[in-house]
Amino acid sequence: MSTISTRRPAGRTGVGRPTVGRGPGGGPARPRNSLTHPPRTGAVLVAPAILFVAVFVLVPLVFALYISFTNWPLIGSYRFIGLQNYLTLFQDPTFVHAILYTLLYTAIVTLPILALGYFLAVLVRARRRGSTVLRTVFFLPYVVGLTTLSFMLVLEAQPNSGAVNLVLRWLGITDGSTAWLVNGPLATVLICVLVVWAVSGLTMVLLMSAMQGVPDEVYESAQLEGASWWQTERLITIPMIRSTIALSVIISVIGSLLAFNQFYILTQGGPGTETTTIVNAIYNRGFVNLQLGAATAQSIALVVVIAAVTVVQFWALREKD
Amino acid sequence: MDRRSFLVGGVAGAATLALAGCSGSLPKVVAKPAVFGKGATGTVQVWCRSATQAGLTSAVAGFNRANPELQVQLTPVPDAQYVTKLATAIRGGTPPDVVDIDDINSQLFIFRDAFADLTEVVQDLDYVDAISPGHLRLLEYRGRYYGLPYLADNSQLFVNTELFERAGLDVQESTKDLSTLLDAAKAIRKTGDDVYGWSISGNAAGIIGFVTQPHVWATGVDMMSGEVGSQRADIVGNEALERMLEFYRQLWRDGVLSKATYSDAGTTWGADFRAGKVGIFPTSYGATVPAATKAMRAKMQTVLIPSWDGKRSFFDGGDNMCIPNGAANPSGGWAFMQYANGLRQQQALPDGGYFPTRSDAATPEYRKRFPLASGPLDDIEKGYAPRTLAYNLLNNQPSSPYFAMFREAVFGSGSAAAMKTAQSDYQRILDQVQA
Repeated sequence: MSTISTRRPAGRTGVGRPTVGRGPGGGPARPRNSLTHPPRTGAVLVAPAILFVAVFVLVPLVFALYISFTNWPLIGSYRFIGLQNYLTLFQDPTFVHAILYTLLYTAIVTLPILALGYFLAVLVRARRRGSTVLRTVFFLPYVVGLTTLSFMLVLEAQPNSGAVNLVLRWLGITDGSTAWLVNGPLATVLICVLVVWAVSGLTMVLLMSAMQGVPDEVYESAQLEGASWWQTERLITIPMIRSTIALSVIISVIGSLLAFNQFYILTQGGPGTETTTIVNAIYNRGFVNLQLGAATAQSIALVVVIAAVTVVQFWALREKD
Repeated sequence: MDRRSFLVGGVAGAATLALAGCSGSLPKVVAKPAVFGKGATGTVQVWCRSATQAGLTSAVAGFNRANPELQVQLTPVPDAQYVTKLATAIRGGTPPDVVDIDDINSQLFIFRDAFADLTEVVQDLDYVDAISPGHLRLLEYRGRYYGLPYLADNSQLFVNTELFERAGLDVQESTKDLSTLLDAAKAIRKTGDDVYGWSISGNAAGIIGFVTQPHVWATGVDMMSGEVGSQRADIVGNEALERMLEFYRQLWRDGVLSKATYSDAGTTWGADFRAGKVGIFPTSYGATVPAATKAMRAKMQTVLIPSWDGKRSFFDGGDNMCIPNGAANPSGGWAFMQYANGLRQQQALPDGGYFPTRSDAATPEYRKRFPLASGPLDDIEKGYAPRTLAYNLLNNQPSSPYFAMFREAVFGSGSAAAMKTAQSDYQRILDQVQA
């Protein structure tokens, strides 16, 4: 094996050692330096990014971890209390209820978002006249955003005056006086419908892109073999976009576990704590109870849980050889 | 020092600096009557709630005209973010000079030593005996005063005298206790299909706490007992509370309240009363009078809120002014606080929908100008608001136990189960906040 020397600045020593040679065990060592730039160039180039990450991610994360071991109030002095915030996490019935409710909410919306997104993707994946308009229409709710849509729904869900009730009365389903937002189950139904409608546009775009990547020849072969539409979808499309489906589900589940805006705007977690999600509970603990220490411990627990759920999903939905 | 040591040391140093910056306590303000507020110059930073901005804006303009050497800069802060922003400013070491704060939140900061002890300068005021005792109580901790009341937002019963006459009712006799109130409301309901005896926003936590608790407080009991920092829930077995809940349940069951009450979040609070369709309306002056027509105002009369046994009370809401420790110009701040509490400024408060916090403001001229704005001033000692670290949690939030109890007792299964649940929820929240 030949040895390649890097260019070395004149008059400097201790740098520019051979980059390829024998490792300690006699095997080939990894190349260490660029062939065309001084070794510190790379470090200088990535330094701003590293600095930003350190200042705005790592330091706050370390700081948050520290806060979670204190009784940090929003006002006044604090003291170190060790693991107490973590040990008492599940002694707070509001937080426990919020976890269960968030899991229920996630379970309710995940499949419909995927199913509706898939259905919409099938509708618009072909490059035919009108597809672009339909894509825009279906994606529009996602662009408008859940926050704006939630504010609109506050008005449209009012008894006797909101569009939801007026339409239901016109269809003869209710008398139009349903108080959607002051009843836990009804509010949950309404928010789930809103979220499925608003978010499935993103799933549609992701799946449509993946579907358009499936070679036409595969479908032509299936057609020649006499495969039905459902067989084509089940045996060709779904297996070939499996990784994108996995990505969509993971995005959807993480979004549901972190749900906040729509609940904060529409029900503020009520009536009582019936529609309080995990992030609602954390927000209340931090900025209503003014207990940042406990709220931070809850946040870190949530981060760990989401990471674990994501890992499990990656494993369950991984590409199979 | 190698690279790893440098990086580790840098991160540790940054964290240490951050912690040090967040943990330091601010220098305490010393307020002595001889010099405090006298000869101050420069700028005074004043924070106010958005809800009370209008009244303070004119006070600031008047002060700035009269004091060219000492200028006030007013910063309105959204009500919902006030506590968080103020706490952040204090922790950051840059608090304003004066905070005009919701009086119910005063104890949050006083209990944690964030506001200046103003006892001596408050007691030195020549009108100290005329100051609302309910507001002062919210500024008191261990016998010391940490601010000065500024404005009052009181709940009362507004009645439509025309509907009372139509139903053959005398206002004073019909509003003396819960039993007579129920009879009066039922009688008024019978005067027209679209006329209701009573109105309340049944899905607005803040409003419900504001207008229903005085029925309980009037008897001399609260929903919690003990000193701030070690309070206990006092719900189960609270007779005054149970009677109030049963009263409202009866109003609902008898159809004296409209069906919209169940879901009314307070967005059109008072519109039905101002339209002349409601006989009795527990509310504030600001939510009722300014937007009413002159003809409707002429039909209005106010009484304080009665308990089941014929005593009366009202909610001592509103704003207190405090000086945070660490303020840059506390002396200038006190000068402005004195100006804002001057009789002339106080007597102008009903223009913005609020009441003075000085009983001596109710002069004949004031009564003539604001005929519906003197009830609480005439019985200023009957005002009350609970001194606690958890008012928002217990009462104002949609998830608050008082709100849940009220709705369950009135619209749901009744008061017994609702009070039992509220007892444990109150206690849990108090334990959490006081830990």
